[in-house]
Amino acid sequence: MSDTLRFVSNELQLMALSFMAIVYIIRIRWLLKYKASRDRQAPSERRDTSSLKGIIYSWANIAMPWSMESTRRMFFFYLQFVVFHLAVAANIILSFVIPYAPGLMKPIIVVRMLQILFAAACAIGCYRMYRRLRNPAMRLISTPDDLFSLGLLTVWSFASIFAAPNRPDLGEGPLMVYFIMTAFFLVYVPFSKISHYLYYPFTRFYFGRTLGYRGVYPVKHVVQPKPTRT
Amino acid sequence: MIPNARSHKAGKVVERMGKKLSRQLVGSLVGCVHCGMCTESCHYVLANPDDPTYAPAYKADQIRKIFKRNYDWTGKIFPWWVHAEDLRTDEDLEKLKDIVFGKCTNCRRCSLNCPMGVDFALLNRMARGLLVSVGVMPEGVAVVSKDQWEVGNQMGVLPQEYIETLEWLSDELEDEFKDPAARIPIDKMDANIVYAINPREVKYDPRTISDAARIFYLAGESWTMPSEGWDMTNFGLFSGDDELGGAVALRVYDKVRELRGQTLVLSECGHGYRSTRCEGPNWSGKKVPFVIESSVLTMLRYIREGRIRVDRAKNKESYTFHDSCNNARSCGFFEEPRELLDLVVTDFREMYPNRAENYCCTGGGGAMSMSEYTPQRLKSAIIKADQLKATGTKSVVTSCHNCVDGLTDVIRHYKLGMKVTQLVNLTANALVIPERVVVPVEVLIPAVSLPLQGFKILVVDDEPDILTFLAAVLEDQGATVIQAADGEQALALTIQEKPDLVTLDLSMPGKNGGYVFEEIRNNPEIAFTKVCIITGKPELRRLIYERPVAPPDGYLDKPVNEDTLLTSIRMILELKHPHGHA
Repeated sequence: MSDTLRFVSNELQLMALSFMAIVYIIRIRWLLKYKASRDRQAPSERRDTSSLKGIIYSWANIAMPWSMESTRRMFFFYLQFVVFHLAVAANIILSFVIPYAPGLMKPIIVVRMLQILFAAACAIGCYRMYRRLRNPAMRLISTPDDLFSLGLLTVWSFASIFAAPNRPDLGEGPLMVYFIMTAFFLVYVPFSKISHYLYYPFTRFYFGRTLGYRGVYPVKHVVQPKPTRT
Repeated sequence: MIPNARSHKAGKVVERMGKKLSRQLVGSLVGCVHCGMCTESCHYVLANPDDPTYAPAYKADQIRKIFKRNYDWTGKIFPWWVHAEDLRTDEDLEKLKDIVFGKCTNCRRCSLNCPMGVDFALLNRMARGLLVSVGVMPEGVAVVSKDQWEVGNQMGVLPQEYIETLEWLSDELEDEFKDPAARIPIDKMDANIVYAINPREVKYDPRTISDAARIFYLAGESWTMPSEGWDMTNFGLFSGDDELGGAVALRVYDKVRELRGQTLVLSECGHGYRSTRCEGPNWSGKKVPFVIESSVLTMLRYIREGRIRVDRAKNKESYTFHDSCNNARSCGFFEEPRELLDLVVTDFREMYPNRAENYCCTGGGGAMSMSEYTPQRLKSAIIKADQLKATGTKSVVTSCHNCVDGLTDVIRHYKLGMKVTQLVNLTANALVIPERVVVPVEVLIPAVSLPLQGFKILVVDDEPDILTFLAAVLEDQGATVIQAADGEQALALTIQEKPDLVTLDLSMPGKNGGYVFEEIRNNPEIAFTKVCIITGKPELRRLIYERPVAPPDGYLDKPVNEDTLLTSIRMILELKHPHGHA
């Protein structure tokens, strides 16, 4: 492994990570400086729920596609979301595994599974980009940041397919591209929509707390019975 | 903040936005990922698939872009990158007004369908409040807010009108039960229940008050209605004006405290329930020391405790239930109405989707008072119409006065031929009234006369269809009806015929209704003629009430149905009973 690759896979990553952490700390402080409004009224008459249950339900919401009409109706879209986000998470883990625990990447099955995941994410990214540009409502709400962030993650997933085998002996190009992209990703994230995962616990916490306290969460979904033939 | 050329109002909106921001609001402003999952949860989008500007994320972005440009770092440094944009001119404010008031009913359905937990309705309400704070709002919102600030209720019901209505209803109740105790108590101290209502009930639907009174009477309840602070609705919820919201809520709470009531029971109104039960303590910043509950819960308890008996066979039609957004999606109040319905009707059929996932009646968020957006509201109501139709029922029950009006409009517009009713009506109808020992008394039954017999009524409207409708309804009740199609003719006929009552349209070619009204009041010969305004433009109400003359005796919004018209006319003519003069 060359010194350059060692630098981009280690020091550069640490620098980017530190930068991201500092910006995130500033961001969270900024968010917390706003006062949280609270519910002063008596709790809901519904006895089977509470603020705490609402918060837990709200946080778990993302893993319960049956809990929202939107995810029930667009289940394929939800599956895309799951695969895409799993791939991003795997990608981040990969950036630690390659320099610090390369042994984990030895079994070829692990490499192939990751490559399939990254390829799927890449395909989903392309489809999502197409959807953003084709669907009038999506086009209207998409900002340059939305498009760039999606493009960045799609290309990053593509680069990861070639980085996953971790074979610098066969050429350092794929790993170099992967780590430089990872560093850029880490630096760019706090300023982009990708930082939504930072806000997710906050928005979902307050939304769940309110709706749990008021008896709306957990949502009671009543399935329409199918008409029976007589 | 960015010091740049902004109009005075735009500057104020941006400045006040900074003061309004809470952690929940900021979370919703920064949390949107533009995934589009919210899009198909909005009835406006579903009814207007070719217009992407109805998408909740787009509507929220119109607020978000101002926040980003002024309060968020990326938007301050790279505005074009995140679509951050400043608010500059009064035209920008008008555009924002049309979005936050005209394209969203704050029903919160999109919020519930957002994977990120972005509360679009919260953002929309904040934007409404900011616009209202600089006087940019639909005329109807201004009128209703003014009424609630100044008169104390959102329909401008005067104290005398309110008390007279309760007395008139008390007389009817006393007659029905032949019991002098069967009356509506006003300002009774230390009652178990203080009952607050929607002013719509006084104005258009007094039957709901008398139905509630019958239930309280038969349950042997110690209850009262307050002489002030009786309006449990709160336009602050719709206008986004927290100050109004807090003041109105406090007015109700203070009266309950003054009367030392134990429980504040709210009649069936979704936004009233949410405002008084859920949001009022937050807006006013004070906890409430007594219990607040919906009358649905009270009625349910009476039946369960055996305090009233009901026979559901008395409500034989097929019924479905419409969940009010404010009840179900913002207060989790959706099971109790169903439990009550099961006890008072024989054929209940669920509507799908329902509970917190139900679609808005399309008249929520104050939409019924914004006539300029009526066409787009009714177009978007196709979703609700289809949902209603699919139930195959004849009647839709709802626990919300606003929904009653919204659904009535949808049913009429899409010719669904359904009726809208409330749980209090069904419960009262299902009541099993205990038999009393009656001493037979020989009663002389007078010949039945028509209720409006002997009254001369002038109906004024430039639309021939409405003239014919009004005349037919009033003539059927025995009135002598004279018709006028414009202001000049109306004035001449009022002087010449001296009618007991004039029903007056406001918007007419030539001399408009406002002018005619003022002329009548200023002419000593006819100044005391009773006048009932009937208009399709509620925003003109202010013009009438601000004139330097005595106010009209009644006020109705078009479209007006036969029952509402006759109830109002009877009240104005002070007819206590349907069959005879007072």
